[in-house]
Amino acid sequence: MSGMSGMNGMSGMNGHRRITAGLVDYGAGNLASVARALTGLGYRARISRDIETLGSTDVLVLPGVGAFPAAMAALHQHRLVDFIQGQARRGQPIIGICLGMQLLAHSSAEQGFTTGLGLIPGQVLPLQTARWHIGWNSMEVTTDDPLLRPSDGLSMYFNHSFVFHAPAEYTAAVSRVDDAPDRAFAVAVRRNNIVGLQFHPEKSQLAGRALLKNVIEGLLP
Amino acid sequence: MIQKRLIGVITVKQGWAVQSIGYRRHLPMGKPEVVAENLDRWGVDEILLQCIDRSRQGLGPDLALLERISRKGLATPLTYQGGIRDAADGVAVVQAGAERIAMDSLLRDNPHRAAELASRLGAQALIGALPLALVGGVPQWLDHRNGRAGPIPPEVAAVLKGGAISELLVVDWQHEGQANGFDEALLDQWPLPSLPLIAFGGLSEAAQLRRVLSRPAVAAAAVGNFLSWREHAVQRLKGQLLGMPLRAPAYAQPCCG
Repeated sequence: MSGMSGMNGMSGMNGHRRITAGLVDYGAGNLASVARALTGLGYRARISRDIETLGSTDVLVLPGVGAFPAAMAALHQHRLVDFIQGQARRGQPIIGICLGMQLLAHSSAEQGFTTGLGLIPGQVLPLQTARWHIGWNSMEVTTDDPLLRPSDGLSMYFNHSFVFHAPAEYTAAVSRVDDAPDRAFAVAVRRNNIVGLQFHPEKSQLAGRALLKNVIEGLLP
Repeated sequence: MIQKRLIGVITVKQGWAVQSIGYRRHLPMGKPEVVAENLDRWGVDEILLQCIDRSRQGLGPDLALLERISRKGLATPLTYQGGIRDAADGVAVVQAGAERIAMDSLLRDNPHRAAELASRLGAQALIGALPLALVGGVPQWLDHRNGRAGPIPPEVAAVLKGGAISELLVVDWQHEGQANGFDEALLDQWPLPSLPLIAFGGLSEAAQLRRVLSRPAVAAAAVGNFLSWREHAVQRLKGQLLGMPLRAPAYAQPCCG
């Protein structure tokens, strides 16, 4: 476990208080990149798997690179599944990024059936329109959600092959591999205090960092 | 709609960014983290950091360099290549700040470990990197450690076809560093059409980049030191490529605040 704190006090403020993000360290993520993005935005970033440390932060961030079963196994191994589910019920804002978004689902079919965190209804299934979705693509925001609306039409960086099939009421933005109008897939989901982002906002340059800032500050009271 | 990418390549030898010419001559340029910072600032779509002496010397991945680059807080996707021996190395590279991994020597020495890496990181995180040249119309794969080249072995082709990697970096090693030198026939003769390709080696001018990026099989074009010779080269090149399915030129920094 390690920690990191932001040095820029001019942004990332909620009123007069510096926002602290808790990055869930379950050994399967691009923690360093996400932490640098957060501190660059002026937030404190705490990388930890300690539930007291994570529970004391303003927002939980669940990053992830890799395969769904291995990630869920790591969350179970570190006794973080019950903790994350409990924090969601208590209303702590939670942001899942890339694989972290998929972990929010009820289940995944990647490498067989695996139960997820079950925080947003839906299943993670293989992308139908291509084997992979890698590179920059624009997102189409499908709701009036003020957290995401300003990012409508902007390009974000994607790197995945499975997608979150969520009911329309939880789908906040979609993208598509080609121009076919009926082949859009969810790239942002939201249920109350929980947001999932299929792309990597931390590696989507200005557009991604602006979105990340908007989502974090929009989720906080 | 998914865009094709313009990738900036940083070649590193003995810890220094170098200009590489035909896999033979290497001219020092400066600190790789400074080159990375420039490419990030100029808004390149992706950065490929290739440390060319790590496998040859059995050093493993250069995690210290990745840490130094990570400290810069880059906002651009990073792919790392060099010295990766097994799944543990791959995980360490991702945790140090890379989104994706490119493999050459590991594919040659132990192609089945590529599949192990895919089970840990997912195939979307893995790129095969093959320095190739055409001999009699057949791609020959160079082993950069001993200078010998030969056809792609069946067991490696099976791994490439089997879904363990998501893209293939086709490196024209003979024309690397030579302006406008990329041998486009390499793309035509590549035998596994299902794999999206990244073209690299001698790509420098907009006209050739336009031809390469127009090919359906090509997902990205990678450009080395031609992007480092002048300020804002990424913006300039993308400006010349307007109309191609590339992300519009945009600066990555400074960040919002």
